[in-house]
Amino acid sequence: MSGVGLRRLLETAVTQGVTEARARIFGHVLNPTGQRSPHKLLRKKLIGEKVSQWYPHDITKDDPLIMAAREQERLSKLEMLKRRGKGPPKKGQGKGAAKRNKGK
Amino acid sequence: MWEDEPKCIKDHNRRLLAEKFELKRNLYKAFIRDPELPSELREKLTAKLSKLPRNSSFTRIRNRCVFSGRPRGVYEFFRMSRIVFRTLANQGMLNGVKKASW
Repeated sequence: MSGVGLRRLLETAVTQGVTEARARIFGHVLNPTGQRSPHKLLRKKLIGEKVSQWYPHDITKDDPLIMAAREQERLSKLEMLKRRGKGPPKKGQGKGAAKRNKGK
Repeated sequence: MWEDEPKCIKDHNRRLLAEKFELKRNLYKAFIRDPELPSELREKLTAKLSKLPRNSSFTRIRNRCVFSGRPRGVYEFFRMSRIVFRTLANQGMLNGVKKASW
């Protein structure tokens, strides 16, 4: 049984060239004319997993006490700035927005 | 911790989206390039590819420093910016890294 298959392989090697036989044995995808082929994109490995794991997980995020303390600090800082008159401006009053409205 | 937290968060969201849509995106792109498919199918696929969310593209991701959020001067191997790398390496916190001299 394997003898007949082997002979057939040898025949293709002789008649159609070694490359085709090699592709058939190993399952390669041939592109003798060199046209654009989707195979080139499809054989790449997927990188999504590695990409999404760039930033490590911050364990302080799991602790509600620490998060509450941080939020308090942020709010008190904002309040201090507002007291001094340095808080965020009202909508449409900031530097960029004023420029945009003036230009219009 | 981070100097530019909103941008780091956005970058993280883009990464998650990119992972989610990666397979589809690759498939569509690959089929568009196949010259043997009928051209209406290819046009339909280009439309589908353009409908995918923009933030799911890998080109929109920027490798920011994990400690400081710096977008430039970041080494991919360490995921750190050059400044943080230098401070940590001098303190000896990076395993196997020492000043080179040869």
